[in-house]
Amino acid sequence: MSTASVAVVGLGVVGSRVARQLTSSGIPVLVHDTRADLQNVTARALKATGIIDLADLRPETSPLVVLATPAGQSEMARLLVELGLHVVCTSDDVDDIEIQLALDELARSRGVGVVVGAAASPGLSGLLVAELAMRVDELDEIHVGVHGTGGPACARQHHRALAGVAPGWHDREWINRPGGSGRELLWFPEPIGGRDCYRAELADPITLHRAFPSATRISARMSATRRDRLTARLPMMSPPHAEGGLGGVRVEIRGSKNGARRTEVAGVAERTGIISGAVAAATAAAMLASEKTPVGVSVLGDGRLNNTALLDDVIRRGITVFEYAGSGA
Amino acid sequence: MKMLRRAIAALTLTGLVAGVLRIRGKGGVPPERGGWRELTRPRS
Repeated sequence: MSTASVAVVGLGVVGSRVARQLTSSGIPVLVHDTRADLQNVTARALKATGIIDLADLRPETSPLVVLATPAGQSEMARLLVELGLHVVCTSDDVDDIEIQLALDELARSRGVGVVVGAAASPGLSGLLVAELAMRVDELDEIHVGVHGTGGPACARQHHRALAGVAPGWHDREWINRPGGSGRELLWFPEPIGGRDCYRAELADPITLHRAFPSATRISARMSATRRDRLTARLPMMSPPHAEGGLGGVRVEIRGSKNGARRTEVAGVAERTGIISGAVAAATAAAMLASEKTPVGVSVLGDGRLNNTALLDDVIRRGITVFEYAGSGA
Repeated sequence: MKMLRRAIAALTLTGLVAGVLRIRGKGGVPPERGGWRELTRPRS
């Protein structure tokens, strides 16, 4: 697939960055957005080709599509899989991701790969867990923290998440807790620092359980202020910014090494759109370059993917990953 | 009318209690040792 092009659908904060990252890697890009003006401007700026109808895509010339539209990507993902195209999805919506994970049988029957949740959280979170998991013999617990949002659609999604039902994997059972509960102070890399984080309707437990089924506890929390929590069940009080400020992803794993308990923590502090763009672009570039793209649905962190190489590429694309050291844990 | 006033008072009180319960809490304890450093990756 090495000389083929990648189609990027949705040219918002994440999609435009994916397209830019791919073109800077020398990969030909096709761009599509329902906003014709935006599509034309982006295509001109990146010397990419605009596409009118996704049904025109052909596996021989553009075998891979990155979906960077707001939540609700599953129907488009299904159509693309039926066309015989590989798909990278960036949605972090729980319902969306559950539907995408259910595309496994269809993707296998078409001989294509679908990577679900290739963004910041989920996405980078899975790559960080895979990296940290190599430091322990047994992985017991995974806890994810996320701070900040990407574009306006992402901000609305996070607003809803705080009022939703938070899935969690607890002692090998799925539990549902109210969003906005379970306050925990989580320490993100500087300059974010300590943030109060709460359970929310986040997809990380679902994707991480798929990638790391041996873990007995998986949770995800997002940062929120008191005002966020009080207004979570109301419409957003003010329109979201075009792009959120500095965001962060933090993962903590607990396990054992040589019989001793170990806790490992890693994280990043960067604009969420930049993180998501780098992760999705790295995933797409790897799939395009690989002769053996895993068929069926996979998530980042999944043993079928070369997670080390993916994280290497994400770092090469400018995302600095930190680890917490010296706590004695 | 009296019933309506009681209902409004009850709802207001419930809202206030729920609000206090929602924003109370002391957060947590910041780490006292260690710090962030760039990820070390022996294989890269």
